[in-house]
Amino acid sequence: MIFYGCDIPEDLLYDVERDVWIRFEGDIATLGMTDVAQTRCGKIAAISFRPVGKRVAQGKPLATIESAKWVGPFPAPFACEIVATNEEGFARNRLMVNTEPYTVGWLVKVRPLNWEAEHGHLVTGAEAVERYKERIKTLNVKCFRCVDSTKE
Amino acid sequence: MAPQIRLLYMEGVSPLRSQTVYHAVGYAMQPDTPNTIILVSPNAPYVSIGYHQDIQKEVDLDYCAQHNLPVYRREVGGGAVYLDSGQLFTQWIFHKEDLPASLEERFAFYIDPIVQTYRELGIPAEYRPINDIHVKGKKIGGTGAAQMGMAEVLVGSLMFTFDKKTMAQVLKVPSEKMRDKVFESLEAYMTTMTEQLGFTPDRAMVKDLYLQKVSEAFGGAEIYEGEWTPAEEAMAQEIDARFTSNEWLYQKGRLQQPALRIHQDVYLAEAAFKARGGLIRVIARLREGRIDDVAISGDFTLLPVFALGALEQSLRGLAATPETLKAKIEEAYYRLHIQSPGVTPADFTTAIMNAVMSQQPA
Repeated sequence: MIFYGCDIPEDLLYDVERDVWIRFEGDIATLGMTDVAQTRCGKIAAISFRPVGKRVAQGKPLATIESAKWVGPFPAPFACEIVATNEEGFARNRLMVNTEPYTVGWLVKVRPLNWEAEHGHLVTGAEAVERYKERIKTLNVKCFRCVDSTKE
Repeated sequence: MAPQIRLLYMEGVSPLRSQTVYHAVGYAMQPDTPNTIILVSPNAPYVSIGYHQDIQKEVDLDYCAQHNLPVYRREVGGGAVYLDSGQLFTQWIFHKEDLPASLEERFAFYIDPIVQTYRELGIPAEYRPINDIHVKGKKIGGTGAAQMGMAEVLVGSLMFTFDKKTMAQVLKVPSEKMRDKVFESLEAYMTTMTEQLGFTPDRAMVKDLYLQKVSEAFGGAEIYEGEWTPAEEAMAQEIDARFTSNEWLYQKGRLQQPALRIHQDVYLAEAAFKARGGLIRVIARLREGRIDDVAISGDFTLLPVFALGALEQSLRGLAATPETLKAKIEEAYYRLHIQSPGVTPADFTTAIMNAVMSQQPA
């Protein structure tokens, strides 16, 4: 679903307030910034990841992101242990999250630690789209993707 | 009822505390913490580096050590900057619901009272999106934004004076010629209240004027001078310890910044290209996509001797595209009868474009 230029794939889980998408493969969740988040953040200049093996409480940072205009956390949607980061991918192309936020621009893979108690706020499908439509209007966001000029 | 904002007024604190105070108030923020503005200035000069910078690549640590300049890494982005008591830092630590949601609107809202203060003083300042303040094409301070815990943080300054000479000294640059160009560029593209007015305005008057403009921006908010809480002070002590640890200061730099941003529209970079007839070094300043200034040097031979300066001069103002540059350089070769064994106009074009391409904004 595209709304105001923002892509909201309906097959993903979302923590709408924290602007994080979640895709499960077995018991491992891949997490990344949504199209709304990458647009609000702007062209990413640097990311520092918390180390693999680190246990992070819900809402606490899994990584710190710096763009040309902002520094802030990429927050954990639920308590989790980091099992992989995309540090290598970002070392190759730091614009991946701006150009392909839902695929190669993933940020971390985690194992949930308190899933039963902390997943009630996550939404998917039509409900996610509706929640994002509201959020996009409230934030007055029109999404756009960066072009990687170094690849042209 | 008009909203209330707490003011923490902390002139003349240590360099470390001038940085850690806004981090502490940010990280200590609770749902019932008042929105807070901190006006703070350091009692001694220091260097502040951006969150993801590599201190060893960006800062001349020998110079800083020789001149007793401490260096602190902040949790706000951007580049290394020399700071002293000539700036009054204006730090906002707010709940997110009390600021505009979009970053662009948030910067505009934060910057407006600073712009209004300057204008009231007779300085024709303007907001230059996304986060600069300009006076007739010169920058009079930048701003930054960050999220710290539940707090949204905005930082900037009221620029009474700025020591451009020391600023150029504290940066680690590839050559002394580049350092000269940094200073020259700061002179050309940065300004201060003192430069604009011809005198340094009274600090207390400027502070009161700024607070009045902030109050107006929030619809007549009451700004009351408060104290920080024991929890905030304890957090500051914790952050003091982290900010002075080598682990924090020397952490791996992740920011790729081949060019030095002078302001929103002006970048400076040095690059080289090995031509058959020798190495060509270029320092190029780019302004809004055009060559603002270029200095060419190297170990190649170019005759007549005056032609290099003339060539540099002829490139100023040109659109920074390979076609435009090459055509102009070829024209100069023809007009000035330039001879440069093993170095062609295409080689100069490549060297200049290497500098230009490194200046793509992050």
